[in-house]
Amino acid sequence: MPMKFTKFAFASLTILFLVAPLIAILPLAFTSSVILTYPIPSWSLRWFEELFTADAWRRAIVNSFIIGTGTTLLATVLGTAASLGLRNRLIFFRGTIRTLFLLPMVVPAVVLGVGMQVLLGGFGLTNSYAGVIIAHTVVAVPFVVVSVSGALAGIDRRVELAAESLGASPITVFRRVTLPLAMPGVLSGAVLAFATSLDEVVLTLFVAGPNQRTLARQMFSSIRENISPAIAAAAFLFITVTVVIGLIVILSNVMRARRR
Amino acid sequence: MSAGPSRTGRSLLLLAPLLIFLVGFFVWPLFSMMSQSVSDTAVLRLLPRSAEVLPDWDRASPPTPAMQAALMEDLKAVDDDQALGDMVRRLNSARSGFRTLMSKTTSALDDTANPPVDLVSIDDRWGRPEFWLAIADALSPLTDRNLLAAVDLGRNASGDIEHLPAEQSVNGVILLRTFWIAGLVTIACACIGYPYAIIAASLSGWKRDVMLGAVLLPLWTSLLVRTAAWFILLQEQGLINDALQTLGLIDGPLPLIFNRTGVIIAMTHVLLPFMVLPIYSVLITIPKNLMPAAASLGAHPIRAFLRVLLPLSLRGVASGSLLVFISAIGYYITPALIGGPGDQMISSIIAFYAIGSANWGMAGALGVVLLIATLLLYSVYARLSAEEAERY
Amino acid sequence: MTDFIRFDRINKFYGPLCVVENLDLGIAKGEFVSLLGPSGSGKTTLLMMLAGFERTTSGTILLDGTAINDVPTYKRDMGIVFQSYALFPHMSVGENVAFPLQMRGMGKTEIAERVAKALDMVQLSAYAERRPSQLSGGQQQRVALSRALVFEPRVVLMDEPLGALDKQLREQMQLDIRDLHRRLGLTIVFVTHDQSEALTMSDRVAVFNKGKIEQIGTPRQVYDEPATRFVAEFIGETNLVEGVVESLQGQEATVRLPSGAQIVSAVSATVSAGQSVYVSIRPERVDLTEIRGDQLNCLEAEVTDSVYQGDHLRVQLHNPSHPLIAKLGRRSREFSPGTKVFAAFSSGDCRVIAP
Repeated sequence: MPMKFTKFAFASLTILFLVAPLIAILPLAFTSSVILTYPIPSWSLRWFEELFTADAWRRAIVNSFIIGTGTTLLATVLGTAASLGLRNRLIFFRGTIRTLFLLPMVVPAVVLGVGMQVLLGGFGLTNSYAGVIIAHTVVAVPFVVVSVSGALAGIDRRVELAAESLGASPITVFRRVTLPLAMPGVLSGAVLAFATSLDEVVLTLFVAGPNQRTLARQMFSSIRENISPAIAAAAFLFITVTVVIGLIVILSNVMRARRR
Repeated sequence: MSAGPSRTGRSLLLLAPLLIFLVGFFVWPLFSMMSQSVSDTAVLRLLPRSAEVLPDWDRASPPTPAMQAALMEDLKAVDDDQALGDMVRRLNSARSGFRTLMSKTTSALDDTANPPVDLVSIDDRWGRPEFWLAIADALSPLTDRNLLAAVDLGRNASGDIEHLPAEQSVNGVILLRTFWIAGLVTIACACIGYPYAIIAASLSGWKRDVMLGAVLLPLWTSLLVRTAAWFILLQEQGLINDALQTLGLIDGPLPLIFNRTGVIIAMTHVLLPFMVLPIYSVLITIPKNLMPAAASLGAHPIRAFLRVLLPLSLRGVASGSLLVFISAIGYYITPALIGGPGDQMISSIIAFYAIGSANWGMAGALGVVLLIATLLLYSVYARLSAEEAERY
Repeated sequence: MTDFIRFDRINKFYGPLCVVENLDLGIAKGEFVSLLGPSGSGKTTLLMMLAGFERTTSGTILLDGTAINDVPTYKRDMGIVFQSYALFPHMSVGENVAFPLQMRGMGKTEIAERVAKALDMVQLSAYAERRPSQLSGGQQQRVALSRALVFEPRVVLMDEPLGALDKQLREQMQLDIRDLHRRLGLTIVFVTHDQSEALTMSDRVAVFNKGKIEQIGTPRQVYDEPATRFVAEFIGETNLVEGVVESLQGQEATVRLPSGAQIVSAVSATVSAGQSVYVSIRPERVDLTEIRGDQLNCLEAEVTDSVYQGDHLRVQLHNPSHPLIAKLGRRSREFSPGTKVFAAFSSGDCRVIAP
């Protein structure tokens, strides 16, 4: 019995450690005070107003949206195509290529940032949307590859062979069988790519100019320089978007499960 | 297999765009960062004529007239003051005295009314081979200076590698600190994550879902939000200090932010999921009846754990620890926001060299050190998880 | 004779769900007792309580006269063979078998000696260095057995240990385990849902249903003299014929069937005249004749189907009140559908059971 209690206490405390910080920040988004501390004197939406009206924040939100969308499109197309290509076991250096596709997850962002700044600077791509989207795509693409490859691995090859035996051309097989079956993986890959772009700070720091400040980048400098409850409001926005994204992923997984 | 070749062709066609994209925007940037760390063109760029003549010199006798003429031509042609400054700094670091020598020389050369015949007539130091030797060495486009400096080494006057003097040995301290902090975070994550994963794996139904959900939720939440949250919790009037003071456990606020404690707490929070998930995924593959079997064979729970569960789950702990350690050594955001000046890790220093002082050479060299450390650890991790996949 | 193991009014609840209800059971030293029943009947839970993995909700478990409810598993000294063997995958076969001896702090030389002997007993001496994953299912099973026996436990518990083996291997292992039981004088509690396994191996069989023991007895008793309808149906195949008791004569009763025919049958349960009951008739005890013989019980029937099954001929019969099945020896002649026959059996080959 004491063993059981110890386990329960340990698990509860760890859950508290994991979750409490995320919950603690939310109410502060609605404070009327100018300082980011408890207790909250009275409730107000002034920081959301600030978020959507102050130039720096508003532009950051718009930029995040532009760059996130661009990254999602580019990463999803490149990653899905590559995952389809990787299915073929006859490809030389299949393992090496796969590792290369996943490596951007491993390499420290600052290292990649230095290289990006040097290279993109040479092309004149720093301080441009294209540069930031390219940089974000590099780190977002592994998530698409992992997600789509997972969905493709779950497809029973015999289903495609059956379609072929029923007279479907390879392109029709892909369009009517493979792609619909892999779609949940493609969707969750896209969602992960967007989330990655949304949360990216370090590469943005190296590659983006003042005109491409994203929400995450703005939060970073705001925490560093003049912390205000606008951070909490931004965090609230972030968590809301995350929850929505999470629901999309869960729903797509349910869809996938139901289809099987 | 008549469809074989065309199928392979199609696959290659699908792979090509991402392959080209990543070679262009992932491999190449890393490569150019590495080449930055070894490239050294500050001198070569400004002295092209000297670069043609100097290789013919025997590196011991006094300078020939041709050498002097070439260098004079080069220096007259320089119109970029910043580049000149870079070159002088570079030469001065190889041989002190260059700063005064160069300013004296350039102003003499600027005097068009009374042009100097040769360099020795401007300053007789130009007659000494050491200064020419420094130029000749600096003309090489490649250097190991930055890479050596990244690990606190340098070359002395005779070209041997030796330790830099203590006042210049900052990188070693920061590297050690980086590994130390990453190690502490790894240990903290293992101490919390291992028992947590064991408990989660022993449960079922909604209890297990809650425990896993608590791990996945932070993973899904923005890193910045989590860091901001810890900022709120840890600050002087933050929730933790408030709570402790209300409980009467402390009199004044504890210093929790802008120091090591805050960095370790926040990084442990951020990286804990990377410890729990690999361990959990190993634990659930262990048959549930092994611990009961050990008990039935007479093993006390502690001995059963040591002899059965621990050896079987050690791979998970190793994978998780490597994953946490790899992520921790490259961490930038959390130390930058929660840490004090004494808690900056190697990433912060790289960012400082790159953004703050535009010293690409140093930034690249430290980047190479971090990259190599990361890739080495990752290859160990990849091998470990490949073996795992083979075993089950 | 006092019981070596004694379950005394054991109850086990999972929340509101009762898995074992007020159960009493005694097992003698050196006895081989099978706990037989469908899944969810409480047999495995009882074994888990004996092993110490589950706690009783109420009641006492006694081992050699001492209550062991509060003794943790690792001090109970019971060798357990698990359903899926539970061999330690990271240890060699030899290390697996040595494990319980190491836990008991034995010296190296003694361990080596004992391990060698235990592996020899199951003919696996040549495999001591191998990992369990390199062995076949049957070999793993034998390792699990020798690991459970090597420390000379006071009781050996087996939880469906042969379930994962194919039929031939399973039958071989049944004989091997029975042989070990006799040679070493082990006390074995064996959980199974396979009735033929229970009949083959056990000294006594306890038939479980819904958390209770329906009947306990020798294999012959539970098969030939089923006490309840559940036992009659669960063990082997049987014809259950419904009827009303007309009269009782000592250990026999006369039962009238709806068709008007009469059966004289041995009685297992307490019944009284006028009560409606079942009569269980084992198919292999039924004889088919074309003319009415002199046997006491003789039911008129018509053959609807007959199937040759190698070791016996299975004949389906239609009788005015009940369909019947008869299993005839291989020397029996063929019966084509439509043939009118008499199904005959003695009063000792059937059994009156309370509904």
